[in-house]
Amino acid sequence: MGRKTNSACDVGLTDRNRHTFEISAMATRQQTRFVILSLLMLAGFTGLLFAQDAAPESALTGVESLETAAVADDASPVDKITELAVFPGEVSLTTSRDRQSLVVQARLADGRTQDVTSDAEVTFEMPGLAKFEGGTLYPVADGSTQLKVEHGGHRVIVPITVEAATVERPVSFELDVMPVLMKSGCNMGSCHGAARGKDGFRLSLFGFDPQGDYFRLTREISGRRINLARPEESLLLQKATGAVPHSGGKRFEVSSELYDTLHRWLVSGASVDAGEVPKVMSVEINPPNAVLAGEGAQQRLTVRAHYSDGTNRDVTSLAYFSTNNDNSAPVSGDGVITAATRGEAFVTARFETHTVGMDVIVLPVEQDFAWSEPPEFNYIDTLINNKLKKLRINPSQVCSDEEFLRRVYLDIIGQLPTPDEFDRFMQSKDSQKRVLLIDELLARKEFVEVWVMKWAELLQIRTTQQVTYKPMLLYYSWLQEQIANNQPIDQMVQELLSATGGTFTSPATNYYQSETDTLKISENVAQVFMGMRIQCAQCHNHPFDRWTMDDYYGFAAFFSQIGRKRAEDPREIIVFNRGGGEVNHPVGNRRMAPKFLGGETPNVKGKDRRAVLATWLASDDNPYFARNLSNIVWAHFFGRGIINEVDDVRVSNPAVNPELLDELARRFSDYRYDFRQMVRDICNSRTYQLSTATNETNIADNTNFSHGSLRRLRAEVLLDCISQVTETPNKFRGLPRGASAIQIADGNTSTYFLTTFGRAKRETVCSCEVKMEPNLSQALHLLNGDSVHNRIRQGKLIKRRLDEGVSPKDLIRELYIRCLTREPTEAETTNLRAILAEEKSQRQSLEDVFWALLNSREFLFNH
Amino acid sequence: MAHTKNRRGFIRDFLQVGFAGGIGLSLADLLRKEAHADPKNYVSKEGTAKSLIFIFLPGGLAQQESFDPKPLAPIEYRGPMGSIETNVSGVRFNELLKRTARIADKLAVCRSLTHGEAAHERGTHNMFTGYRPSPALAFPSMGSVVSHEFGPRKNLPPYVCIPNQPNEFAGTGYLSSSYAPFSLGSDPARGNFRVRDLSLPNGCDDNRFARRRRILDAVNDHFRNKEKSDSLDAVDTFYDRAYAMISSPQARDAFDIAKEDDKLREAYGKNAAGQRMLMARRLVEAGVRFVTLSYGGWDMHDNIHNGFNRSMPPFDRAFATLIADLDQRGLLDSTLVAVASEFGRTPKINNNAGRDHWPKVYSVVLAGGGIKRGIVHGSSDATASEPEDNPLTVQDWATTMYKCLGIVADKELMAPGDRPVEICDGGKVVEELLA
Repeated sequence: MGRKTNSACDVGLTDRNRHTFEISAMATRQQTRFVILSLLMLAGFTGLLFAQDAAPESALTGVESLETAAVADDASPVDKITELAVFPGEVSLTTSRDRQSLVVQARLADGRTQDVTSDAEVTFEMPGLAKFEGGTLYPVADGSTQLKVEHGGHRVIVPITVEAATVERPVSFELDVMPVLMKSGCNMGSCHGAARGKDGFRLSLFGFDPQGDYFRLTREISGRRINLARPEESLLLQKATGAVPHSGGKRFEVSSELYDTLHRWLVSGASVDAGEVPKVMSVEINPPNAVLAGEGAQQRLTVRAHYSDGTNRDVTSLAYFSTNNDNSAPVSGDGVITAATRGEAFVTARFETHTVGMDVIVLPVEQDFAWSEPPEFNYIDTLINNKLKKLRINPSQVCSDEEFLRRVYLDIIGQLPTPDEFDRFMQSKDSQKRVLLIDELLARKEFVEVWVMKWAELLQIRTTQQVTYKPMLLYYSWLQEQIANNQPIDQMVQELLSATGGTFTSPATNYYQSETDTLKISENVAQVFMGMRIQCAQCHNHPFDRWTMDDYYGFAAFFSQIGRKRAEDPREIIVFNRGGGEVNHPVGNRRMAPKFLGGETPNVKGKDRRAVLATWLASDDNPYFARNLSNIVWAHFFGRGIINEVDDVRVSNPAVNPELLDELARRFSDYRYDFRQMVRDICNSRTYQLSTATNETNIADNTNFSHGSLRRLRAEVLLDCISQVTETPNKFRGLPRGASAIQIADGNTSTYFLTTFGRAKRETVCSCEVKMEPNLSQALHLLNGDSVHNRIRQGKLIKRRLDEGVSPKDLIRELYIRCLTREPTEAETTNLRAILAEEKSQRQSLEDVFWALLNSREFLFNH
Repeated sequence: MAHTKNRRGFIRDFLQVGFAGGIGLSLADLLRKEAHADPKNYVSKEGTAKSLIFIFLPGGLAQQESFDPKPLAPIEYRGPMGSIETNVSGVRFNELLKRTARIADKLAVCRSLTHGEAAHERGTHNMFTGYRPSPALAFPSMGSVVSHEFGPRKNLPPYVCIPNQPNEFAGTGYLSSSYAPFSLGSDPARGNFRVRDLSLPNGCDDNRFARRRRILDAVNDHFRNKEKSDSLDAVDTFYDRAYAMISSPQARDAFDIAKEDDKLREAYGKNAAGQRMLMARRLVEAGVRFVTLSYGGWDMHDNIHNGFNRSMPPFDRAFATLIADLDQRGLLDSTLVAVASEFGRTPKINNNAGRDHWPKVYSVVLAGGGIKRGIVHGSSDATASEPEDNPLTVQDWATTMYKCLGIVADKELMAPGDRPVEICDGGKVVEELLA
């Protein structure tokens, strides 16, 4: 059968699809697949005859003949091309040097994609206006036409317009030269972009100051860097091509386009740009995603910039490509991704101040994968599973009741279940018992305490030189009241950011006392409420994100009019709106109008700027607010954010599951920012309740929430748990005996234990202040320190139980349940009994079991 | 620049150096990743200095009253104190540095250190990290960098602080907190000195501890079979290190200052300066790579004469003994000793008979570990106001010390946000200082 089809196909080949056929044949190793492709080819060819009216306005429409579908379905449905797309979807070429590279991507029935740019058949409706060479379109003559792109039985029409085909656009410093400096890495931080330059020559980092760079290139040392009389002898070119010694080595060849651009600029007199220079308004990277199967599969990228004058330009050769996962999807300097090991990657292209990215999934070629059809408890599972299916990962099983019990107690209330609570839950036959337990825990006061603690970190509640103990405590109480009363978070944040009045009478104003520096305040607000670290943009445009210095100082301008004056009580400060005070841009000293990050420039005339900002920030107009809060909540329950770290939102650090994050944000906003409801959704999801045990498909996954994860207990919770199970009360400064560590109001109140295990001092807003990494002092402290050994003895639990006549076996069971929320296994009981038999003192040996349980990994981790 | 996902991930970082031998499964991966990434990477290899003792004198040590006296300057610049000759001809120290003057031939005195930070915390940041403070990044201390690059040696923590981490900049910065210093938690000058949590608790002898460990193994077994995770391995690693330290007599002895001959303890001085430096020597001798100790308070805005009379003699005795002791044991050539403060003090005596903050020029001292002996590097002008010859930047100073340790300071480590950051940016090795 195979042969027959094959030969039939051969006979049917015309000149124009022979090329395609050869490539496909080369790419196929297996006979069956070869046959399918041959069939497709034939079908595609016949398909063409039928499908003459493809929609011309869309470049994404796949058109297929019935015949194709029938034939391919018969053979192997997974290899069938279901969609053909051409990027960009329309092309406009303006001036003689313009061009546009095209990428043709086929999507197969099983979700894989193929780069078929060199296989596709390309014809012009009207020849003579443009030419197509090596995947790129070049202008020839003015006019409009259509490009027909055909492959695998699909056809896509790409409209083309050509203008000013014979006119040469003059070389522009900003539009042409600056991108060359960027592409060649000249203005990187480790090269001339360093604050003091390199080897005596400085460029602005990532080109934030084109005027300054122009000056330094042409005027700073007259006659040195450029030579207009003999442009090719300019030091600029000689250094970059390695013709003279250059610490940075050779950056490009004399024959390269980069060289040509600089050379033409020099020949034209190295002039400064006259008049208004068009600004880059947006950049697009295509294709938006790719699912590559098999090592070595490639996908080329095309990057296009859109300018403020309405023109666009192919900047693929000028863009700076990077990938966040070199193991799976390395990308070359000219924008070709090559699949490597299985995994996910986000590939970004940077041009000017814009960074854009696309998703890549790399799968093995052959994989026996069957979707396990896991049940879905709520929308979270649906969205998680959608992604897992794409990755060919099956989620784990649901965890046991014991595991669920421990996990949900630690996560919701920061404590362990007592033996009574354990028995009650384990004995319950109610099919809804997990749901009921979640509701029960959400109603406990400890739930509030956990979130007050987390917010206290974000709001940096601690004593400082400006904030003494009393206002700190008032500030903390204010926060506590907000959370306890279930005040919608958006309202709380609005109240906080627009707070005015005395730090005693209006304690939220302490927010502006714990940090008083205008720039720092704006950085903190961006990081806490939008999840963005904009610090970089204080000194240079953010290299991996969209934020420019303009954005930074525009945002800071909201906080430039905060007034502070003494109140009657010397410990109190009154925070008010001064109504004056501006922020100036350090380059050029422009006065910056307040501008929302990624948003508009509002009218602030006569208003309190902070109030204007607060209203926008904590609203649905700010696309980051609800997403950021949902992500923070999510991260608490999973140990990592959907965007991770939660306060490192940037273009080059995308959400692993944007659909999920969007949905959580939408619901959070619908719930009127009610934390409890959000937590309820998360804890009731199957995803939250997954076991940590992995299967073959998800063992390597650590980012897509396909199994439960191990998370060390944070310092406060760990100490509270030790205190709880040993029945020894804590004592912290300012709190009554028996208070828990999560109730500590002041970031500066700590103990050796809390500091050693990484409690945040709240000196910064960074989520990284809470440290979870192990260290030597922790191990020594648990082994030898007073927190375990002494507490076991002080609590006298073992002695009491033995006095009550509890048998060692039952006592071991109780200790296991107390510490690990499970009963000991048979093997453990046997093992322990053997070891314990050696020791005469029953109390001592049981204390040693208690000690071992508190030192065990199982105790230290939430799982 | 190609970046690897989640590069700040602790484990990978942690495995990269030091522990690769122990848990080497993903080392190959790692190296491959490193090779892919553009960041400048060099493999650190022990240099001339196998260890470093960093003696930090917080507050801002006056250069005039220590290593750079100006006996010929007018009285308001010279100050109230005199100077003495040292055993290096033409080099004079403050009159109180009597013993140090006799070992000056083993030192390299740098009199031209210069930076621009006149606030304590900013200057301190400079001296512990080699960087100016940045709003965007918390830099790791030199000790944590050494810990990151080399890992532990002979069952001892790589980076130890005596008695405690002296300030926030002596920590790990953007590196994982696993590279944090191990703090003694108690001052060796105190009679009841005991390193925190190093010895077994009361009522627990070696036998009982051994049984506890067996029970712990039995308890851990279940979980170990059930769960595999890098974060569990990391906890195990530190437990193993703790066991090694607790059970290695050599390691335990290193921290036991009572084991030291009493005559030598006297020679160092039975005070904070003496016993801390002696402890530092013990630790370095036993295998610790980087010891940071702080001594005194040198922020002498008022009555600088009294201040020095109080604080300097113990330092002089201890420091001179330390250098001589190290040399006698043949350790000086492999141990770099650095004395530094966050800045110097104003050229002129102020109205309160003190001096104020002055970062423009001041002195630091280096000795041993590949540093030339008996030299003065750089100089300040006649009134100790500006560097005159060979200004030494903080970056140069740090880069030179890193060089002795076998670390190329230009190497880039991965900071949050996949940002490659040099260990020390823009410094050069000061060849004149190297032996």
